[in-house]
Parts: sequence; C-alpha cells; structure tokens
Amino acid sequence: MANVCERADRGVEACQIAVRIVQFSRDGRLRTLTISKDALSLGLAAQCELGQGPGPLQTSSGLGAVPSIGSAGAPEVASRGLPEEAYEGTKRLRVLMVEDEPADVELVVRALRQAGFETTADIAQTGEEFTDLVRKNLYDVILADYKLPNWNGLESVAVLRQEGLDIPVILVSGALGEQTAVECIKQGAADYVLKDHLARLPEAVRRAMRERKLREDHRQAQEELARSNRDLEQFAYVASHDLQEPLRMVATYTQLLAERYKGKLDSDADKYMHYAVDGALRMQKLVQDLLAFSRVGRQGMALENTDSNAVLQLALLNLEAAIQEGGAIVEHAQLPAVVADGSQLVQVFQNLIGNAIKFHGSEPPLIQVAAGVKGKEWVFSVADNGIGIAPENVDNVFVIFRRLHTRAEYSGNGIGLSICKKIVEQHGGRIWIESKPDHGSIFYFTIPIKAMPKQ
Amino acid sequence: MKTQPEILMVDDNPADIDLTSEVLAQSKSHFHVNAVNDGVEAISFLRRKGKYAQAPVPDLVVLDLNLPHIDGCEVLSNIKSDPALARIPVVIFTTSQADSDISRSYKLGANCYLRKPGNLPEFVAVVQSMAEFWLGFASLPQKEKR
Repeated sequence: MANVCERADRGVEACQIAVRIVQFSRDGRLRTLTISKDALSLGLAAQCELGQGPGPLQTSSGLGAVPSIGSAGAPEVASRGLPEEAYEGTKRLRVLMVEDEPADVELVVRALRQAGFETTADIAQTGEEFTDLVRKNLYDVILADYKLPNWNGLESVAVLRQEGLDIPVILVSGALGEQTAVECIKQGAADYVLKDHLARLPEAVRRAMRERKLREDHRQAQEELARSNRDLEQFAYVASHDLQEPLRMVATYTQLLAERYKGKLDSDADKYMHYAVDGALRMQKLVQDLLAFSRVGRQGMALENTDSNAVLQLALLNLEAAIQEGGAIVEHAQLPAVVADGSQLVQVFQNLIGNAIKFHGSEPPLIQVAAGVKGKEWVFSVADNGIGIAPENVDNVFVIFRRLHTRAEYSGNGIGLSICKKIVEQHGGRIWIESKPDHGSIFYFTIPIKAMPKQ
Repeated sequence: MKTQPEILMVDDNPADIDLTSEVLAQSKSHFHVNAVNDGVEAISFLRRKGKYAQAPVPDLVVLDLNLPHIDGCEVLSNIKSDPALARIPVVIFTTSQADSDISRSYKLGANCYLRKPGNLPEFVAVVQSMAEFWLGFASLPQKEKR
C-alpha cells in the first residue's frame, strides 16, 4: 500500500508532504474500501469493544501517573502494549479513539486486528472525555478523527502536551486537504491515515510506536546521564566539604605542635613535624580546589554582558602578589564584551596567567592577552615566554590532578586548568594549547558570540 | 575595679574550644572562657538554670552553628528575643561558608559572623582580634543588675 503521507518529523517541510500526496494520487492507487458500512457493522460488532470501561492498569514504563481505578473490567496486568513488545507480531494494543461514528471505530479495530494487534479501544467524543481518559489510562496510540461536531481531533495533541504525555496521535479521517495534513504534522500528529485507506493503519501504528520507544529511550538515556553527572558533582562536593573539617583539626594542631615544640625535641622531630604540617596544608589546598571545581558545575552560570577588559583587570588584581614576585609583565589588547559568567571568566584568566607566571623560563615572564573573532566565536589567547609544553602533553594538562612536574620543581595540584576547561566548555567554548618546549605556550579559548537572552 | 571579661563559647568540638582557650590565654587581657557543648546547655547557662545557677553573665557569646539538640540559630534567636540577654554580643564562629547561614544569622541578630580559619596563624589572628574588638574597642550597653 502506498502511504498517503509518510510520518514526518514535526519540522518537516510542507512541500515534502505535498509531493508525497501528489505522487500518491498520480499513481492512481487511491481507492475506497469496497466493503459497505452496513456489512461491517453486522459482521464485526461483536469484536468491537465500544466504550470499554477502563480497567486497572499496571505499568513499568514510568510514563505519567496511572491511578488504578476500580471499575468493571478484567484487570489488565503488565502485559499492556509497551512499545517494545507491541510493534511486532501479535501484541496487545490499547487504543483511544476520538471518533463519533461507531461504524468507523469498528473498521479501525478490524484493520488493526487483522494486522495482528490484539486491540482494545476506548472512545472519546468530546475534549472532556478525552482528557479524562488519558489521565486515567495508559494508551499506546490515539487515533483521532479530524473533525467532530464539538471537537477537533488535532486538539488532542495539545491536550497530551499539556498533560505531559507522549502518546502518538494518528489522525484517521476522511480526505483532508494537503494544507490541513501538513498543519496536523506540524502540530505534532505522528501520522495521517485516510479512512478510505485503513490498510495502511497498522504500519503507521507500528512506526509511531517505534518512534515513541526511541524518544523514550533517548529521554531515559539523557536523564540517566544528567543524573549521573549530578551525582558525581554532589559526591565531589560532599567529599571535599566534609573533608575540610577534620583536615582543619590536623592542620591547626600539627602547626600548634610545631610551634610549641620546635627545637625542644631532636632535629628528626622538627623534620617530621614539618612534613606533617606541609602535608596537611597541601591537602587543604587540594580539597579547596576540588570544591571550587565541583562548584563550577553545581552552581550553574549567571550569564550577563561582561566586559572582558574588566574581567582581566580583576584577575590581575588577584594575581598582584605573584606578578610582583615573579617580575611579570602582562600586556593586553582591547578585549571584547561577551555574554558570560563574569566571576567564572575571572577564574579562567587568573588560572591561565597564574600558570604562565609559575612556569616561567630564564627570562622574566612576559604574558600577552588578546582576542579576535573567528566565525561565530571570540577566540581569546594568553601567550607566554615560559618553559612550554611537550607536544605529547598538550592534552594532558587539562586532565584533573595531572601534573607534569615534581612538586619540588613546581607547586600545584593539577586542578587549575581543568577548572578552566570546565568553565569554558560550560560556556559552549573550547580550550587548547599551542606550545613548544622552551618556546613558550599560547593558551586559546573560545566564547560563542551571542546576544544576551531577553528577560 | 574592672572584672575579668567572661566569654561563653558554645561548640561541640572540644578541639576548637581548646584551641580558642589556648589562644585567648596568651593574650594580654585576661579573658575567662566558659565552654558548653550544645545548644541546650548554652540556654541553661545563659538563663542560669540547674548547675549553672551561679554562672556569670557572659560579656561575649562565641557560637557555633552546627550543634547537637538545639542548633546555633535557635540559641541565637533565644538570646536576641530575650530582653535580659539581647544586649550580649554574639559572634557566630563556624566552618560554614554558606550564604544562607550567613544571612540567616544576621537576620536573627548576630553581631558578627566569622569563619573558622583552616590554619593556625589565621586562627590565632581571628580569635585574638575578635576578643580584642568586642571586649576591648566596642562600646556596649551596661549589664543590668540581676
């Protein structure tokens, strides 16, 4: 059977649908069913479960709340047509029909049964009935006539959206103009089947349910991913937060011991106390940085129009001691205004410039900050004349806790650049390095150019 | 004659009480530190209930927020809603950096909010300047006779 109108995604172009309809007509395959309504009514009435009372349902699908209501009807247990089992072979199919013509209901149910669906159908003739039924029961698919006296089948799509339900709606209707067909798909109907052409219905149902299953799987995977990320951040936060308190005890009391007993025991004791104090203070810094790292994702961003010149000045102010101590010179061009979280951007500049000062070469550090437009992004660069990074390590520097030098050579815990990466990526940008050992490094990062969203 | 300033420290961590007492013992002013370990004890002390019938009226309360039984905020609101106690300056001294804790404390009438520093030099500086400021420089209402 030819398809009147292939199921199309919501954003589908009107012309594509129109072409399909026209092709179909040219094929001359559009024909009406030859069985008369009367014959069908007689022959099929017994199979059609008109207005069947909703029975208690159980589901593991997690789609919306399903209150079990104690009305007549055999309990229908978990085997209800979850998409997985429902789209191939003989499967149970629970249908809600928006229809005022009993004979048409019979035709539809018959078409589905012939295709192997063990079909039960409820019927809604008004918007109220429809809303009531979708709240009470879980349906696999909704088959809606386009035009009812007081109710437009397409309105069911809006109701489902309002109720937060993802149930495919297939319009089953008499001939519609192509404009209307296009409009239906745009509004979110899964498909459109002519009443004269019901043989196509089972395939349309299978496909709509397959697609719904895919959407559901996708949604679940995304939720799972988001949840796992949240858990991880929460863990990092709690761990680092709760570590601070006992660590504070260790740090202050080893310091007190060192202060009070220094030179009063032997030289080994002094050395051991120094190790203990140093270890405790280092761990404290580590925990604080880890906390800062987890905070980047946890607190979200306060996006605002941000002058990166002011941001840079703040970063330089925070680095004042290091700049003076290292005899560093920081030059910068005029920097742009960007839409960003200002305090996070300060952190990026501060970490990059701080690193450039720390990893200086034999010359006093000279650091140049600049920015330029490339495509739809601002590309910022922080260039230095420091020791540079070997090519095999240019990606490693962004990995958390990764250090390329011994502690005796350079202090630090390997979190700074991973915080930069996290912040930049959270803004939708990228960060990378160009470097050669002994020839300095250039850190680049991008911030997408965009307008501040209107409040 | 000026009497020895009385400090009430409310903290469930004996290490912090010891460290604070240690720091204050080294300062020139002779502060006397009274320590209790939870909020219920703190309120009994301030109201001179039970074994605290003879307790001095403190000149300064140093209050942790995370306390067993009755937390620091509740102790704080007890102090500030009691006309006999409200004049006593209360310094919140805690590890919490949460904005919510800070703003709640000030709303309830805390006179100052200090975070416990993580290393000894800072801890000494904070505790000494806190005591010197509140018990030395600041002018406070006179104690009522009780």
